Amino acid sequence: MSAVSVSGLFKSFGPLQVLKNINLPIEAGDFTVLLGPSGCGKSTLLNAIAGLEDTDAGIIEIDGADVTPREPSKRGIAMVFQSYALYPTMTVRKNMSFGLRVRSVPRPEVARRVDWAARLLQIHELLDRKPSQLSGGQRQRVAIGRALVQHAKVFLFDEPLSNLDAKLRTEMRVELKRLHKELDATIVYVTHDQIEAMTLATRIAVMRAGRIEQYAAPDDLYEEPATLFVASFVGSPAMNFLPGRLLAGNSPAVQVGSTRVPLDGYRFRTPPAAGQEVVVGIRPEHVAIARDEPSAQTMDAEALFMEPMGADTLGWFQFDQNRLSARLVPQVARGLSGRVRLSLLSDHVSLFDPSSEARL
Amino acid sequence: MTTARWNARVGRIGLYTLLVWICLFFSIPLLVVIATSLKTSDEVRTFSIFTLPSAPGIAAWIKAWSSACTGLNCGGVRVGFWNSVRILIPSVIISVMAGSVTGYALSHWRIRGANVIMLLLLFCAFIPYQVILYPLVKTFSTIGIYSSLPGIIAVHIVFGLPVMSLLFRNFYIGLPDELVKAARIDGAGFWRIFAFVMLPMSVNILIVATILQTTGIWNDYLLGLIFAGRDNMPMTVQLNAIATTSTGVIEYNVNTAAALLTALPPLLIYFASGRYFVRGITAGAVKG
Repeated sequence: MSAVSVSGLFKSFGPLQVLKNINLPIEAGDFTVLLGPSGCGKSTLLNAIAGLEDTDAGIIEIDGADVTPREPSKRGIAMVFQSYALYPTMTVRKNMSFGLRVRSVPRPEVARRVDWAARLLQIHELLDRKPSQLSGGQRQRVAIGRALVQHAKVFLFDEPLSNLDAKLRTEMRVELKRLHKELDATIVYVTHDQIEAMTLATRIAVMRAGRIEQYAAPDDLYEEPATLFVASFVGSPAMNFLPGRLLAGNSPAVQVGSTRVPLDGYRFRTPPAAGQEVVVGIRPEHVAIARDEPSAQTMDAEALFMEPMGADTLGWFQFDQNRLSARLVPQVARGLSGRVRLSLLSDHVSLFDPSSEARL
Repeated sequence: MTTARWNARVGRIGLYTLLVWICLFFSIPLLVVIATSLKTSDEVRTFSIFTLPSAPGIAAWIKAWSSACTGLNCGGVRVGFWNSVRILIPSVIISVMAGSVTGYALSHWRIRGANVIMLLLLFCAFIPYQVILYPLVKTFSTIGIYSSLPGIIAVHIVFGLPVMSLLFRNFYIGLPDELVKAARIDGAGFWRIFAFVMLPMSVNILIVATILQTTGIWNDYLLGLIFAGRDNMPMTVQLNAIATTSTGVIEYNVNTAAALLTALPPLLIYFASGRYFVRGITAGAVKG
């Protein structure tokens, strides 16, 4: 049984359809990230799961029960907001216990839970302060604490780290991962930051324009993106796209310019048609400088410039009409200029239909 | 360099000259009134209004407070004072509370037609009273509260509501929506969110609203004249009655003392709460 199950969900604001037939089963213990650019409907979907947003059609189940008509407080969820939304006039302790007192949880139990959450998040010494006396990171912890004391079935996070500076964000990311592991909690997490998504999630739903483009584990999403959009949105620097044409023959291959890229291990989703135009996607780390002699499988390119990033260097190359990036070992990249020969690691190629944008 | 400093100095001088003139313009009439109230009747009649009292005394103040006559009633303005207090307290409390609830509802709950209501409120806030006085009098006398304490209180509440609602709505709209969402997830409903989350954050705006309503209602003349009736005549109406009484000698010193007594409460409120007033007005602006 899924911890959360969204099926056939539709939602529109006036004439604008923001959610179009969303189906999203989430298993207990999953850390599901809703990933997408702003305006893709990810926050609306989270609010719909929370019950803060009415829906036009569809069913939301939590822990096996249909909660679609229920109030947010009757759904067994807890939520952490982007702006933390701490009650400014209450102390941290009151902030954390407000929900429990509303539900008339007995006082000793309230104290016990607040104590437990404060210990878990190391905010014990902050309990009697007001939110205005806390730093951004501390407020974030309190907001998480307020969610934890609810003993909710599902925790919802709406871009919780986007108001923190880069260093703090990395720290809180590790913290969230630890909490997820320690509590074995079911989490639905909204972000537009693909690194956050990749590092935290057990499953990612990439959304665009009110639809889920792909719902898969981070590795699968990265290795085998289902659409051009997913391929370009996930991964930094972005995947390279080159126009190509499928070649006939007993071993499938794709022609990119004058280069022939073999596709022996490629798992076609639909049987390939010879001569079909395709978009060849290859990640920068799967483009290499060719050492061996020129052959049909290497491509001649012009080195444009190098971007050293510490651990590796991003090399930019011009190949026919296309610009291509490659993740290179700094020693190799140093002093690279003029004509170079590149090869594509063909095991890692993705092919897309240029018109439907779907993976082949 | 020196010309710049010279120019700055000339600017300063101009500015202060202007400020002094403005000060005089507003303070001279006030000083005349204060001086007159401290004179005896004879002194008022014989000397120019600009002379200072030769032997300042508060006899006129005492007479104005406790025995000045309105027609045949000689109880002083204290009768009007207590009437004003009786009108003021319920009117202010109810209009401020109702305004804050309306503002909260309009800003943080999706209400069908909230925009239309807003527009109507805005429209109502700027309707001149005179336009609706006659129908209102007819309505009130039909339901039997014309010329009564509940009547005048109801009028003040109704006339105060549009501005109060707008004031609170503009304050609450600046508070993050996520606060209400968080409270809803915590299980709190409309009233509990209002009482435990919104109201505690509204101290400054509550003070501003209270000051606005208190001074507005205290200084009101027209509504008090029409809706309060003889028994509940507020201080302002009584002051006018005292000043326009045509029998006997006109006692300017008593009249000015009565005027000052009437003006005193709002003045004291401004002095006591000016700090909060500024804080409240800016709080709304900065938070948003």
